[in-house]
Amino acid sequence: MDPLFRWIESTGLSVWTRESTSILAFPAILSAHAIGMALAVGVNVAIALHLLGMAAGIPTRELRRFSPIMMFGFWLNAASGALLLIAYPTKALTNPLFYVKLGLIGMAMSLSAVIDRRFVRPPQARPPDERASRTARWLAAASLAAWVAAITAGRLLAYTYRRLLVDF
Amino acid sequence: MVELQIRLVNAFAAQTAIARLMHTVWVWPIAESLHFIGLSLLIGTVGLFDLRLLGVGRHIPLAAMHRLIRWGLVGFGLNAITGSLFLIAEPDQYIFNISFQAKMLFVVLAGCNALSFYAISYRRAIAGTAMEAPRAAKIIAAISLTLWISVIIAGRLLTFYRPFPCEGPAPRFLASCLP
Repeated sequence: MDPLFRWIESTGLSVWTRESTSILAFPAILSAHAIGMALAVGVNVAIALHLLGMAAGIPTRELRRFSPIMMFGFWLNAASGALLLIAYPTKALTNPLFYVKLGLIGMAMSLSAVIDRRFVRPPQARPPDERASRTARWLAAASLAAWVAAITAGRLLAYTYRRLLVDF
Repeated sequence: MVELQIRLVNAFAAQTAIARLMHTVWVWPIAESLHFIGLSLLIGTVGLFDLRLLGVGRHIPLAAMHRLIRWGLVGFGLNAITGSLFLIAEPDQYIFNISFQAKMLFVVLAGCNALSFYAISYRRAIAGTAMEAPRAAKIIAAISLTLWISVIIAGRLLTFYRPFPCEGPAPRFLASCLP
């Protein structure tokens, strides 16, 4: 893999993202990544809390209005994450935890899609104050757990990498 | 001002037990993870309530949406605790850091802004069954969103504005030096 890492690290985009002293380079990308996380995870957390009965009076179906915000956060992070990966490919791709993080995000987004399709979108018969089904509650709890794990894995990336750059 | 800052640093630095705990291998990263989880919780509740005031999901009763706020307070509490741990463990890295100062200013402003919501529009917004929030509530919601996003940005930029020893080489970003 080293030749690939070396090539990516030598591209203009990689060098700019990594070495530019502009606040609009690396610092801005990191900020965007944190904001995207807050939006994507935040909307999913709100939906999960609601299904678990923490904000019962909300008509569940109306929560679908927030899914564009969730998707905006997700794509903002896919884009900013891709830039961070281009800046430090060796650092990310030689760390097993990076793949764990991606797996957890994949799991969390799949849960999000299932919850959306099965429990948020369908025109509902359930009155706003009645409990969500057992399945809905289990999926909501799993969603919260997956996001907590994904965030933790992401944060630990800064402490667990073995190689920073291909020759360093 | 500098005197006050030095006094603060010394006061925090006296809490050596917490600093020692924070500098064990996994405590700092775990506290950071909790800080990010708390911020997601805050934006997912307070931020979504702000969006509802601004008209997103207008069929959701404001009173029902407001029930999420208590979880925002949990997120804020989590971040106040973990944030204090960072501050106590490395006071000079924060007290002299312009990004940290800006972040604290934004947090205080966001707090005052939230209080103004309860003083000015809470009753009208929550009691009524109108889909449309009062104009004052919308302005407060827009300010709230702006301030919390600013808090995230200032928090993320903190690391680039860490003070450095004046004798050493200057870092890449604008930071102040510590004599």
